[in-house]
Amino acid sequence: MSEESKAIQTYDYGVVKLFSIAAIAYAVVGLLVGVILALELTFPELNGNIPYLSFGRLRPLHTSAVIFAFGGSVLFATSYYVVQRTSQARLFSDFLSKFTFWGWNLIVVSVVITYPLGLTQGKEYAEMIWPIDVFIVLVWVAYFVNFVGTLAKRKEPHIYVANWFFLSFIIVVAMLHIVNNLAIPVNFTDSYPIFSGVQDAMIQWWYAHNAVGFFLTSGFLGIMYYFVPKQAERPVYSYRLSIVHFWSLCFLYIWAGPHHLHYTALPDWASTLGATFSIMLLLPSWGGMINGIMTLSGAWHKLRTDPILRFFIISLSFYGMSTFEGPMMSIKSVNALSHYTDWTVGHVHSGALGWVAMVSFAALYHMIPRLWGTTIHSVKLINLHFWLSTIGVVIYIVAMWIAGIMQGLMWRAYDQYGNLTYSFAETVEAMHPYYLIRTIGGLVFLVGALIMVYNIWMTIANADKRATASV
Amino acid sequence: MKHQTIEKSVPLMAVLTLLVVLIGGIVEIVPLFYIESTIEKVEGMRPYTPLELRGRDLYIREGCYNCHSQMIRPFRDEAERYGHYSLAAESMYDHPFQWGSKRTGPDLARVGGKYSSLWHQAHMKNPRDMVPESVMPSYPWLAENELDISDIAKRMEALTMVGVPYTKEQIANAVADLKAQAIPDSDSDGLLARYGEKVSLENFDGQSDRITELDAMVAYLQMLGTLVDFSSYQAQSR
Amino acid sequence: MADNKEIETTGHKWDDEEGYPLTEYNNPLPKWWLYSYYATIIFAVVYWVLYPAWPTPNGFTKGILGWTQYGQLKEEMEEGQKARKVFEEKLSSLTSQEISQDSQLLQFAISGGKTIFGDNCAPCHGNSGIGSKVGGFPTLVDDDWLFGGTLENITTTIKYGRKGQMPAHLEANGGSFSQAQVSDLTQYALSLSGRASDNAAVTRGDELYHGEASCNSCHGDHGKGSLIGKADGEPIDNSIGAPNLSDAIWLYGSDPATVEASIAKGRTGEMPSWAEDSDRAGRKLNDLAIKQVSIYVHSLGGGQ
Repeated sequence: MSEESKAIQTYDYGVVKLFSIAAIAYAVVGLLVGVILALELTFPELNGNIPYLSFGRLRPLHTSAVIFAFGGSVLFATSYYVVQRTSQARLFSDFLSKFTFWGWNLIVVSVVITYPLGLTQGKEYAEMIWPIDVFIVLVWVAYFVNFVGTLAKRKEPHIYVANWFFLSFIIVVAMLHIVNNLAIPVNFTDSYPIFSGVQDAMIQWWYAHNAVGFFLTSGFLGIMYYFVPKQAERPVYSYRLSIVHFWSLCFLYIWAGPHHLHYTALPDWASTLGATFSIMLLLPSWGGMINGIMTLSGAWHKLRTDPILRFFIISLSFYGMSTFEGPMMSIKSVNALSHYTDWTVGHVHSGALGWVAMVSFAALYHMIPRLWGTTIHSVKLINLHFWLSTIGVVIYIVAMWIAGIMQGLMWRAYDQYGNLTYSFAETVEAMHPYYLIRTIGGLVFLVGALIMVYNIWMTIANADKRATASV
Repeated sequence: MKHQTIEKSVPLMAVLTLLVVLIGGIVEIVPLFYIESTIEKVEGMRPYTPLELRGRDLYIREGCYNCHSQMIRPFRDEAERYGHYSLAAESMYDHPFQWGSKRTGPDLARVGGKYSSLWHQAHMKNPRDMVPESVMPSYPWLAENELDISDIAKRMEALTMVGVPYTKEQIANAVADLKAQAIPDSDSDGLLARYGEKVSLENFDGQSDRITELDAMVAYLQMLGTLVDFSSYQAQSR
Repeated sequence: MADNKEIETTGHKWDDEEGYPLTEYNNPLPKWWLYSYYATIIFAVVYWVLYPAWPTPNGFTKGILGWTQYGQLKEEMEEGQKARKVFEEKLSSLTSQEISQDSQLLQFAISGGKTIFGDNCAPCHGNSGIGSKVGGFPTLVDDDWLFGGTLENITTTIKYGRKGQMPAHLEANGGSFSQAQVSDLTQYALSLSGRASDNAAVTRGDELYHGEASCNSCHGDHGKGSLIGKADGEPIDNSIGAPNLSDAIWLYGSDPATVEASIAKGRTGEMPSWAEDSDRAGRKLNDLAIKQVSIYVHSLGGGQ
């Protein structure tokens, strides 16, 4: 028996496979809903006056589908894969593994059903109604136990850095989720949050910003720390940098929430803390990028032949760019221009598409052939996917930069007499071409994802054929 | 090296991570509950009437906050376009807050009273009839759906549990007050006594024979930003 | 960049399944990275000294600059006011005649009025006052006015608002006329613009119009509306706003069914009041803005 097949018997790859397939399916769903929403903003009649397809109900579905369904599944898949392989141990409990998979998917299905029906809590990125929130806690506790239980069985006494990041992601998300969703139910679907007004605003953005910080950053840095050195077959660049930037990130990120509330009714002092901690966050964020990119030093030539590695490097570049743009946008005077505009939307997507989605695609391309004990169906198609993704993101964010900055400038434009130059409706009209271009960018990105679906489908089908043939 | 100890222990790693992330949250959140200047002292804030409350529920159901802010920032252009900057006090009864994060459409913090209800009826039916550039979805179903008022008292009770000062009397008269606000020429003395003389009474949906979701939505919109009495308000530094 | 080959790995190894384990170099922190990190920390500390920053047990640190966001707004507003002051003074002291002769002042008023109109008035009256597709929101570009089209009339309308006063006539809607009588009145109203289809009904409607229903007390003896008013052309009262029924301009629609609906159910159109001292709740406009937007509306084509 070869080393590899022994490993496949020891590890629980079943749950990793399930989560990987779920992730790919949810990527397509989430991106598709995104494209539909972009089209609705361009041609508002397109929703056919159907309540369930109306922008306000569908947008939370898009954000939840990409963050929690797609991103969440990727994190479950990779963290389960990584913690087993770096601990040389099977997942702590087969039952908990299955429970987290079916539980998480039940949550996703409930979200897909409830949001279009208008069942929502009305808090951005935390729209789930309270019964779903309660169930999330259950699944999350199971996840924590399963992850930590596996770590406890590790053969190497030192916990690998990827697992530090996964662990912090699991712990912090639990804290954020519980506090932000405290509410008093009215009936089985409706509830009122216990916080209101300015305190609720602060808690909501403490939650939402750190969903970015710990779900979409820490979690995905965990992915980066395992898959980049693996794919490059190089040691991680600097252990010391890992330590410094990990603890800095954990400590600093949590403070940054108020930068979403500059110049609002949040007191000045809180706003200042949000801005300054965001600035201090820049270098710790970049620590991850440096450690990732520099891991390739001595192996740069591999970029020429390995599109998976290219995916990793471009995702780290987008990560570096977004984590630079973020602190800039948190400076009060910049935020005065960017807030409420599509600039923010562009910023989020350079992080979400450029960093999160691309690093996920790369990890899936690395992992899936190993899970099924085969090789990828087509390297060329990975390369095509790489280019479509990159071009799609660039079109998207450039359109949103122009739209957002233009919008912000038009709102505050004065003529030579000191009169406001534009009415709000004129600024809406000016957005139209950029909304169309954005839609095209999103569509290109979606086409790339569909190519991945085909490539992965063929990879798995071939693996099954091979398996049957060898019996 | 010290970190060797931490990274060899899962409990230590977990506890330290939690401690490190607790600090920021505590320092930023807790003082908002005890620093008195956080919520300004104002005249005129009151809990929402039952009809406005249901309207607010619908505002949340339809996800209006995805495109509309309710937070006027202290800038000259916003003062001139939207009016006085929003106060923390103005959202003190908002569970959850609806400040929003994006202005695909204009800010709504002071939309109350700005347009006639006839306009809101036409605009909700098809925004492009009224504003050709608009990219807002149409909401024809609001005028069609009967407003669900079956659990209005329960909703108000839940809100009292989270700190909204509804009185027993207000809760007991919830249904009557809701109807009194939406049906013109009905006996509104009780409603006005309980919520103040400024409450607007109107056939908000333009249909006299029933109370629809549009009644609640328009009543809510027509109230937005009108509660605080700014003639007596002095700017307070925070 | 450091030559990795000379730097030892930490000696820990993970995941050796595929013959290439995960290992870690222990490169020093990049100097530029570390110093930049320090720089951001220094930036933050300086910021905290200057601006409101840290909560304390009984308040928060105010910062030595004494900056607040509301103070910043005050400065911005004062700065903005400076440039406008000269126009503002002129606008409030000059008559409309004088204003129309001062081209710079006119431009100031119209360019400002245009945006104020766009944000506050266009939602009902349409872009540049062309009216809306839906009935009840008058166009402002023609010379058919309900409450008068002089600058003073327009200013009054904007300041204090207007309310439609067409009562319901059908019994079922609280009026005092039967369905047959409402139909007769409709025929008469249509006859004023030469569109009646039933002459007998017109005769009966005529009698009601000038008699029991006394429509003429608002719309005038010849249905020319409250501004032209009585048979001799004298206005009735320009605050009534009863429309001219003899022309081709219909606020709610000209088809017989709509005209009948107006008579049967009445109309309650509403122009909100915008003066800061008016008793409407909500967003108002200051006197300068009202003046600007009045001049803008007056300039749209229908001003008298």
